[in-house]
Amino acid sequence: MPLLEGKIALITGSGDGMGRAHAILMAERGADIVVSDIRAEPAQATAEEVRKRGRRVHVVIADMADVAQVKNMAEEGAARLGPIDILVNNAGYGQRLETMDITEEDFDRMFAVHVRGSFFAAQAVIPAMKERRRGKIINISSMWGMTGAPVASHYCAAKAALLGFTKAWAKELAPWNIHVNAVAPGGVRSGGPMKLDNSEILKAKEAKVPLKRYCEPVEIAYAVAYLASPESDFVTGQVISPNGGEVIVGY
Amino acid sequence: MERPSMKLAGKVAWITGSGRGMGRAHAELLARYGADIIVHDVLQDEAAITAKSVEKLGRRVFVTHTDITDTAGIRAMVAEAESALGPIDILVNNAGIGQHLAIEDITLADFDRMFDIHVKGSFFCGQAVIPGMKERRRGKIVNISSIWGMNGANTASHYCAAKTAILGLTKAWAKELAPWNIHVNSVCPGGVITEMPIKVQGWDRIREKEQKVPLKRWAQPEEVSGAVAFLASAEADFITGQSISPNGGETIVGF
Repeated sequence: MPLLEGKIALITGSGDGMGRAHAILMAERGADIVVSDIRAEPAQATAEEVRKRGRRVHVVIADMADVAQVKNMAEEGAARLGPIDILVNNAGYGQRLETMDITEEDFDRMFAVHVRGSFFAAQAVIPAMKERRRGKIINISSMWGMTGAPVASHYCAAKAALLGFTKAWAKELAPWNIHVNAVAPGGVRSGGPMKLDNSEILKAKEAKVPLKRYCEPVEIAYAVAYLASPESDFVTGQVISPNGGEVIVGY
Repeated sequence: MERPSMKLAGKVAWITGSGRGMGRAHAELLARYGADIIVHDVLQDEAAITAKSVEKLGRRVFVTHTDITDTAGIRAMVAEAESALGPIDILVNNAGIGQHLAIEDITLADFDRMFDIHVKGSFFCGQAVIPGMKERRRGKIVNISSIWGMNGANTASHYCAAKTAILGLTKAWAKELAPWNIHVNSVCPGGVITEMPIKVQGWDRIREKEQKVPLKRWAQPEEVSGAVAFLASAEADFITGQSISPNGGETIVGF
């Protein structure tokens, strides 16, 4: 039996990039998927990939900055596929701005999508997880949430806040056997950096990674799938950072 | 439980201290995922049981009882094991001992043995396989540390510091060996129900300690193996210099 057989996973921002990779890998391992994204077309394309793998899928179009839509996303997903076993708080975006150029609007949306969206997505799925006394929540942070960066301080701080939720929820939800962990990707060859960096800048960045490369989205998905599986049932409050050795810190 | 894939098919894994406890669980899970196993333990009867279990899973096995502090013996053993099973792809530095002693009760002999087994042992087992890994430009080293290596404890400071040194090796090796695509990570188990704590602490003390863990339990050895198997597989090819701590939420730190 595949490790995620019969599980239902809600993956926010799964229309493309890493979110789509998580959806496809978890479907391959037996999970049914609630695909959530703000963009309808990419979401449908991910859904098709899930169907091709013989799993059930439901698509919800939601803006993570809108709490009512976030709640509806979780409710609709559970109503269509069944109670959510796995929540992957993946939805997010980058915005390369220096502190002095970040407007109040930029700031609010950054925190609304990453922080408020993740919080209320969790709040929407936790009651049913508590009832069944099991659940997996995986928050997608970032290496930049751990180390900071010389740009995008609103993004860095929002990603750091996701690590804060991870640690606090791990403790608060442990009595119900709900496991909460984070994945903090380093350089990934996905839409964001490919669009933002021309190939010369990307090459220079890869040269600074000890493993001399950025990774493919599926390499992040492997860490997510491990944390979603029963093989990590004693792991909670932890962070896995697939980053090619770029950041080696803490313990 | 059936596994989603044979993600370690065709790999050869050397697991030190695999005669019992977590080491045996690692051997069994890695074998389930398709790896052939070098079972290494000074305890001969225990090593034989692990070996039988690996064979039952349909994998090849090489058994050795070489003392881990005998660095020349280790080198010779590796040559012999590799000629039997093929080049070693995965090293799990798992061999270790526990010893509940206050600072003033730790003798020079206790101290040396603790560091010899954990630190020197891990270092020279690494040194024995790294040249081959460099040549093939791939390799996985998983060093078993402990939450006590991250946090310390109110006893066994020689054990705590040896386990911390293993985290030091992990980070340094990750950087030094990255140019050859060799990935080095740690697993830091929290409370695990194995013979060692049952013997040293007893069930009453274990039950008491379980209540202090957010998940209210200690792990079975195979729950640590899941982390080891993940780090040993190609699924973790972008992960190096990191540690995973299956500890039930007992220790939440760093980032």
